[in-house]
Amino acid sequence: MPIRQKVFFLTIALLLLVAIIELIRRRRLRVEYSWLWIASGVTIIVLILRYELLIQITVAVGAVVPTSTIFFFCILYLALLSLNYSVRLTELTRQVKELAQEIALLRAEEARPQRPDRGGSHS
Amino acid sequence: MSTPLPVLIVIPAWNEAANLAAVVTELRASRPHDGIAIVDDGSLDATSEEARRLGCVLLRLPLHLGYGVAVQTGIKYALRAGDRIVVTFDGDGQHDPAEVEALVAAVREGADVAVGSRFLSAASYRGGPSRRTGRWVFSQLAGALTGIRLTDPTSGLKALGPRAQSLFASTRFPDRFPDADALVLARRARLVIVERPACMRRSQNRHSMHGGYRAVAYTFNMLLSLLVAASGRESDLRG
Repeated sequence: MPIRQKVFFLTIALLLLVAIIELIRRRRLRVEYSWLWIASGVTIIVLILRYELLIQITVAVGAVVPTSTIFFFCILYLALLSLNYSVRLTELTRQVKELAQEIALLRAEEARPQRPDRGGSHS
Repeated sequence: MSTPLPVLIVIPAWNEAANLAAVVTELRASRPHDGIAIVDDGSLDATSEEARRLGCVLLRLPLHLGYGVAVQTGIKYALRAGDRIVVTFDGDGQHDPAEVEALVAAVREGADVAVGSRFLSAASYRGGPSRRTGRWVFSQLAGALTGIRLTDPTSGLKALGPRAQSLFASTRFPDRFPDADALVLARRARLVIVERPACMRRSQNRHSMHGGYRAVAYTFNMLLSLLVAASGRESDLRG
């Protein structure tokens, strides 16, 4: 890997890491979601510094050129990431629905205070 | 059974301000002892004001979340208010209050879910050919998946006993596609489902959810949802 390429990609990877850490520090990114991004940044740096590792992976999966290894894993990574977002969106949708229903029920309760409180179970 | 369970009629309403007065007045005349809860599903018109003016229980959702979520809100209200029979009733005037009694009676006699069917009634409801085909397909599929034979699985007129309410208030309830799928779910939870004839009218002001290009997407999603409802372990549904 030519030195010019190495410097260029290393700079980008480091900027990415700094951005991630800064986002966590400013509480813009929740800590539990951040390990994935830090891991991604570190992986890029490791692959730049130890290019032979990428070649070993390429041989291991039976690919011909390292670039296709990179592209394959990037696409796989993005696909898994969006699958993960879908799962989270589903959960968020359910939470929004339940909050909306709770608001409707609380408003109704407020509107008729004469109804005796049955002390529903809060599990 | 000493005193019979009181009945709560749940009317999911989305922009139905114009129809509510007629529907509620007619219901009250025919069923003076039943409670009426109107679920305002994020309407942009005066649905909530209308419900309040008519003296109904108002459950106002802050967002438009769809028919299934609205119905489930009414069920949750009924569960918190204590033991009740829930009747789901459309706010657009297509259901006839006279048909409610047979459904309530079926639940009192031990059914968990009683469905009002347009096809068992003497006065036949037809609908367009695409709707009829769709209903037939769902009916066949639901039958194949669960062993229930229902003539009208997409009917919105239903009476629910306490066990069905608990099931439909849970996260297992298919709130995006509640018609046939909820019945599949109920069947798998070993609830007793019966059908009673119910004649329906043409609705006065229908913003149909089964029209145009959306029908294709709806059908596909509903089939998928049906498969989901029919899958999963039965043990999860009980207890």
